[in-house]
Amino acid sequence: MAGSQDTVAGPGASGGHATGTDRRERLRRFWKSDFVRSSPFWLIPFLLMGLAVYGGIIWNFLISLTDYEGFLQPPDYSNLDFEMYAQALADPAVFSTGRNTFVLLVAFTTITLILGIFLAILIDSDIRQKNTVQTIYLLPFALSFVVTAQFWLWMYNFQNGLVNTVLGLFGLGPYNWIGNPELVLGAIIFALIWQFSGYCMVVFLAGLQSIPNDQFEAAKVDGASIIKTYWRVIIPQLKSASVSAAVVLMIFALKIFTFLYAMFGTYRPPKGTDVLATLMVREAFNLQNWAYAAAIATILLAMGLAVVAPYLYYQYRARAL
Amino acid sequence: MARVKLDDVSKSYEDVVAVNNMNLDLADGEFITLVGPSGCGKSTTLETVAGLTKPTSGTIHIGEKEVTNLPPKDRGIAMVFQNIALFPHMDVYDNISFGLRLRDFPKDEIDERVEEAAEVVELEGMLDRMPDELSGGQRQRVAIARSIVRDPDVFLMDEPLANLDAKLRVNMRTELQRLHKQLETTIIYVTHNQAEAMTMSDRIAVINGGELQQIAPPLTCYNKPSNRFVAGFIGSPSMNFTPATVREGDLQADGYSLSYDTAAVEGLASREAVEIGIRPEDIYLVENESEAAEPSTRVEVVTDVLEPMGDEIFVYLKPVEAGAEDGMGSVEEREGLLMSVDPATDITEDQTVEIVFDRARLHLFDMENGNAISHGVIQGAMMDTGPGEDEAQADD
Repeated sequence: MAGSQDTVAGPGASGGHATGTDRRERLRRFWKSDFVRSSPFWLIPFLLMGLAVYGGIIWNFLISLTDYEGFLQPPDYSNLDFEMYAQALADPAVFSTGRNTFVLLVAFTTITLILGIFLAILIDSDIRQKNTVQTIYLLPFALSFVVTAQFWLWMYNFQNGLVNTVLGLFGLGPYNWIGNPELVLGAIIFALIWQFSGYCMVVFLAGLQSIPNDQFEAAKVDGASIIKTYWRVIIPQLKSASVSAAVVLMIFALKIFTFLYAMFGTYRPPKGTDVLATLMVREAFNLQNWAYAAAIATILLAMGLAVVAPYLYYQYRARAL
Repeated sequence: MARVKLDDVSKSYEDVVAVNNMNLDLADGEFITLVGPSGCGKSTTLETVAGLTKPTSGTIHIGEKEVTNLPPKDRGIAMVFQNIALFPHMDVYDNISFGLRLRDFPKDEIDERVEEAAEVVELEGMLDRMPDELSGGQRQRVAIARSIVRDPDVFLMDEPLANLDAKLRVNMRTELQRLHKQLETTIIYVTHNQAEAMTMSDRIAVINGGELQQIAPPLTCYNKPSNRFVAGFIGSPSMNFTPATVREGDLQADGYSLSYDTAAVEGLASREAVEIGIRPEDIYLVENESEAAEPSTRVEVVTDVLEPMGDEIFVYLKPVEAGAEDGMGSVEEREGLLMSVDPATDITEDQTVEIVFDRARLHLFDMENGNAISHGVIQGAMMDTGPGEDEAQADD
């Protein structure tokens, strides 16, 4: 606050008496300043946020540098190294779960965004009962992960599931959606898309409806077909809507652990759907390899940032943020 | 360049008739303004010409071609929108060239045409700016450049100046006129601002309730309005209207009577009542009586509110007997007269003055349908109208 003044009036200033009253005066003014008087309103949330989230991240990182495991002794912070990271990078389980996490993040986000835009355009262009239709699409988003996971588990049931029954009508299948390591990740991504495309559509629909009608008319008079109008004029204007939708989708993709745990009821999902999050929880809470789990958590965080950061930076440059 | 012809064009939505049997015939290179109050159907009419709306019935020709059912891009039109409608994610060059790029013009030709259009609207050196870096007037110029770059036969402008501030609007008005002179293209211009309509156009089409009221050169609309609506809409401040009963040789209005020439106004004696219309500038104080071509008998009135405008003073007048004593009530019910006088006039509020009407510039309208009966009530002093008056008067 008054730091710069302090240094000027500090040791160099003569006349101790004068400085004393000055200091008292300054202190009094400091206590009456807006900064101090407003602090009850922001300081507590600020500290909670700072300690719980960023403090947690830093502590987690510190633990990952130790060799902490089991319950017997507290972590030893005297000997910090990157041994756990070296071990993780050499671990084939980390590689395969990391790849699954990445595929899920990218495929789910991309497909949901595209589907969301597509649905929003369809609804924006001609369906009249917008409110009803919006609610129908938004409902899945209101469901909890636990509910979605359970009923998609039933839908994907090998013998009696709806998916195989319907495909059976066309002479396809039955497929072992959950048991086949090559199919299960796709099946889960599909379930997530089902849950989130409605949300995505609503975000884009709001963006579309804020675009004035004469943008369409101007494009039409200039001779643009409907597809070209959307592709070259309208969709580029949905930048800020896609940022917000994409960020939310990516965050949910990283929270996939809940969905998998709700679906399979164990920290060890079937082969093919094991992601970094489940691996981390297994290492930590099944095997008590605290330091190793912390290292995996840090890798997961870095991966999340790596996916989100370039996009945010691009949007920042384009002044959409 | 082309002529534009609308034959019996109607557009109705579920239960609203927006445009009713519109007939317009625009000459090649003409600047025509569709003017009327909000919701009168002028924009809908323009949209049917643009192809953004299909008429319910009737046909539209641009040039020799019938375009009623053609999409906008095949009509040879370009349009400037009220909200300007630049594409916010494209720079000026991309905005102007959008239509050409869609039509796959060669790059050199696009460059050349964009340069040319930018030169016409004085936007050289700004081609790489984004729309949000431009001022309102510059954005409007980009919108105009975007329409001229395609070299259309007809320009359609839907209140293009409505969102600009007052000073800029007057500037752009002049620029549009200059542009019209330079390009010699047919322009259909929609506005609710009668000052824009008066100053810019070759002819004005006054529309109300989806129906064409009058199409004529601006001064004809002003001096010889075809009905009460046109008379009230064109001119600012608006014309005064007073009902009057017809007697042999004079019209008895509220508190005064005006004599007329029976020979000048045919069949007036057979009517019982008419509506008198008189513009504020055609009412004179007694001391300026000589300025009126055909002064009426003097009428005594009381001045109410004065509005000094700088170049003139608007004086609201109320009848004498309703004046000082009983104040508000009757004045509210009766529409007061509005007179405009020279700013140097020595006049105060609540002053009893004598006025005369210029009978040569008195308009008479039918009480029922509002159609004009006569402009001027004195033989030999009928209203002097502007140039080109006999050229075009709406038949219906």
